[in-house]
Amino acid sequence: MTALLSCRALTRRFGGLVALDRLDLEVERGTVLGLIGPNGSGKTTFFNVLTGIFPASGGEIGFDGAAITDLAPQQVYRIGIARTFQRSRLCLPLSIFDNLMVGNHRHLRHDLWFNLVRRKALRRQIGEQFAAARELLRIFDPPLAERMLEPAGRIPMIDRRRVEVCRALISRPKLLLLDEPSAGMTHDETLRLMDDILKVQQQIGSLTIILIEHEMSVIERITSRCVVLNYGKKIAEGAYAQVAQDAQVKQAYLGLE
Amino acid sequence: MKAAAVAAVATAFAWLLLRAESQTSISLLLLLAVAAGVAAARLRFRLSGPSVLAFAAVAVLALLLREDDFSLLLLTRILIVVVACLGLNVQFGYAGVVNFAGASFFGVGGYTAAILAPRLPHLLVLLLGGAAAALVGSILILPVLRTRGHYAALVTIAFALLFRTFLEVNDTLGGPQGLKLPELVIGPFHFNDPVFDASFYLRYVALGLVLAALALGVVQRLERSWIGVALDAVRLDEIAAASFGLSIARWKIAAFTIGNFITGVAGALSAFMIGFIAPNNYAFSESLILVSILLLGGIGNPWGLALASAIVIVLPEKLQTIQEYRFLIFAAVVILILLFRPAGLLPRPLRRLKT
Amino acid sequence: MALLGQYAMNGAMLGMMYALVAVGFTLFFGVLDVIQFSHGDVVAAGAFAGLLAYAALSFFGVHAPGVLLLAVILAAALATIVVGVLVARFLVLPIKGAPQLNVLLVTLMMGTVVRECIRLFFPNGSQPQRFPALLPSSGWNLGAFYLRFDNVILLTCGGLLIAATHLLITRTRLGLAIRAVAQDEETARTMGIDFKRVVLVTFALGSVLAAFAGVMDGLYYNEVFFGMGLLLGVIGFAAAILGGLGNLYGAIVGGFLFAALQTVGAVALPFASAYKDVFAFGVVIVLMAVRPTGLIGERVSERV
Ligand SMILES: Nc1ncnc2c1ncn2[C@@H]1O[C@H](COP(=O)(O)OP(=O)(O)OP(=O)(O)O)[C@@H](O)[C@H]1O
Ligand SMILES: [Mg+2]
Repeated sequence: MTALLSCRALTRRFGGLVALDRLDLEVERGTVLGLIGPNGSGKTTFFNVLTGIFPASGGEIGFDGAAITDLAPQQVYRIGIARTFQRSRLCLPLSIFDNLMVGNHRHLRHDLWFNLVRRKALRRQIGEQFAAARELLRIFDPPLAERMLEPAGRIPMIDRRRVEVCRALISRPKLLLLDEPSAGMTHDETLRLMDDILKVQQQIGSLTIILIEHEMSVIERITSRCVVLNYGKKIAEGAYAQVAQDAQVKQAYLGLE
Repeated sequence: MKAAAVAAVATAFAWLLLRAESQTSISLLLLLAVAAGVAAARLRFRLSGPSVLAFAAVAVLALLLREDDFSLLLLTRILIVVVACLGLNVQFGYAGVVNFAGASFFGVGGYTAAILAPRLPHLLVLLLGGAAAALVGSILILPVLRTRGHYAALVTIAFALLFRTFLEVNDTLGGPQGLKLPELVIGPFHFNDPVFDASFYLRYVALGLVLAALALGVVQRLERSWIGVALDAVRLDEIAAASFGLSIARWKIAAFTIGNFITGVAGALSAFMIGFIAPNNYAFSESLILVSILLLGGIGNPWGLALASAIVIVLPEKLQTIQEYRFLIFAAVVILILLFRPAGLLPRPLRRLKT
Repeated sequence: MALLGQYAMNGAMLGMMYALVAVGFTLFFGVLDVIQFSHGDVVAAGAFAGLLAYAALSFFGVHAPGVLLLAVILAAALATIVVGVLVARFLVLPIKGAPQLNVLLVTLMMGTVVRECIRLFFPNGSQPQRFPALLPSSGWNLGAFYLRFDNVILLTCGGLLIAATHLLITRTRLGLAIRAVAQDEETARTMGIDFKRVVLVTFALGSVLAAFAGVMDGLYYNEVFFGMGLLLGVIGFAAAILGGLGNLYGAIVGGFLFAALQTVGAVALPFASAYKDVFAFGVVIVLMAVRPTGLIGERVSERV
């Protein structure tokens, strides 16, 4: 079977800056890939190009057997790629439940007739979605699952992170992109979040994950393979233990320190 | 229970205010209202109840005032402005699409009504007034879709100024003198005949109530549905919304069109009620008044804009001294609101899809 | 030929006014990333302040045109600086972090306040006011075309003012500070630049240009009107967008481009002068639809 995601010579420039430099990358189905590298090495940019937020300056992206290089963000989401953002992007004035439903857009009916006239059917769908959302949130934090009708702006940062991960998970994507989901969490909280994500992965079955993470112990624990970026270039790839020994990788991280 | 009591008190207050003649008694009543408002805010008074109560209160008020032409006219004007602002609310409040040409779309509805009224059944004319406003709005759609609000602001302002100037120089639409409308007739009802011995305006109040109820129903259902969630997401974070499949353009167009339709229908009814229309009614400053109502009331909250409509319309009529200064006063008030209480008098409550 | 000269002169005057207003918009956007929607009405405030100064001096028996003109310009500049700086200090800076929509609404409403103040409190302000002719109305006969001195003077002064602004921005420490803030507020702060002061000075600078545009408008048309700022503001802003918000030269080019379009439109289109404002606003709408990001491109700072 071919890889779920494969990128060929993917490039993105910002003016003179090459943020992503001829990146080749493959991700097998059902695996967790770690994406690491010093600050400003192009990790987030990779997600942005992959999801269509920024168009690629060159190269190709294939997903599930189809070319998706030039798709708009909406289309990328619809074929089953969902993400979180490095800087939390929840809709803070909306309830947690509403935020989760933003993430489940592709499974909801949005026509006027259904929403304005068929209120019974709408209420039924709301009920089902509410139960499903609670179920999912419960995996991460049972008390939080009982607070879904509170505004997202009123819960602590850690819970917001969890909600954001759930927002990406609730549409049952094939590929989940996590951009430093644990930013601002303690070591233990991070490990718990990752365990919960893996739990969901087991449940969904065929979920593939790309994880950007600075906490190396997390990468070591849950990724089967990692790719190291530096100045937009891939400088190493393989199992974490192997990559961590790589001279170039050490150099990149030391150079930063 | 609580809601019914508040509705009764509010009705009584409105009746007193509308009947009051002397400037002193009016001022005292207004001070009383302000005091009550401040007290309610201090005590964190929350009110919830069926919308029917509010409509019943207005109906009772209209019956109490059945022989008072002027007050009934005011009441109808408030209802019409509420409808118009409900339209703007879908744009500003939900999708975050700015529109500073509200009075122009109101005017498109009015002029459409004036042109079509002699030819078509009037109920249809009201709807076509809305349709025309929605259609004219589509001219502006491209710039309105831009992410940064200032494009939409500039273009709608330009349109508001263009619309008014165009009406003034265009002779086929009556020029500065405007156009006359025939009597509004819907089914067996002739709207300019007296209702028994009461004022003929009672019918307009009734029709205004029906339209307001319909518009409110549509807007509230819109808000409490997946569409409401989608519009809010588009307003709050376009990048996140796009990343979860929401088509920004689609939702902005939908909100802009629905909003203009509602505003256009209100404009058509207003034209029928006044009986003639002229470019002066649709000036840019009137558009700003509509936006002021939205901000004063609490953007996104239909009840807020209803309260604000009542304030903005009744105040200058009752306090003669401020009539001349109303544009200045309301603009200043909006500035203060934006600086110190951006959520408005009645902030929009959190949506609870599941109760 | 004579007619052509007439049109060219008219276009040049319009273009100069638009450019002066557009430069203000672009400067404000540069330093603060906001649109000062009351800028057009600041122009009107300048013109009316000038008119007030003229009336006061005439009342006290001063009739020397040179003195009067100086007084008119100074009063206009003073008024616009006061309004512009107050708007920046008390309306825009305090809500810098709020949603863009709020800044837009506040300045728009402030424009209404200025406009209404002129209408209500200027003697007979709801009617158009005659603006005195303070420049010599003589001129040269160039063939059939009569080149008036006053127009030449106004154009020259406008050009000098823009050139001075350019020099200020590119050659002085203050200009360096303004450019630094426009580049990146954070970096500018760490470089020890007093952010707030730079913003206020920039608003004062843009407002002075508006004052001159207002006086120029009055001297050229011999009439001012409380609502004159709406047209100038909308077109000035559109010109700034057309030239790429934040770009000084773009704004100037945009201003003249608009004037050219308007002039050509007036010549080429059959329905004459009645529709000239309709046409101008129509051009704004069409241009915003087809060229939304400006000729040079607006800076987008959003990081995802
Ligand atoms: N919108 C943009 N415009 C211009 N340059 C950008 C933009 N986004 C990213 N960059 C630049 O591209 C480079 C890569 O940035 P990116 O955010 O992808 O790094 P990163 O690996 O995610 O770093 P971090 O670990 O700090 O999140 C950086 O030099 C950054 O400044
Ligand atoms: Mg990053």
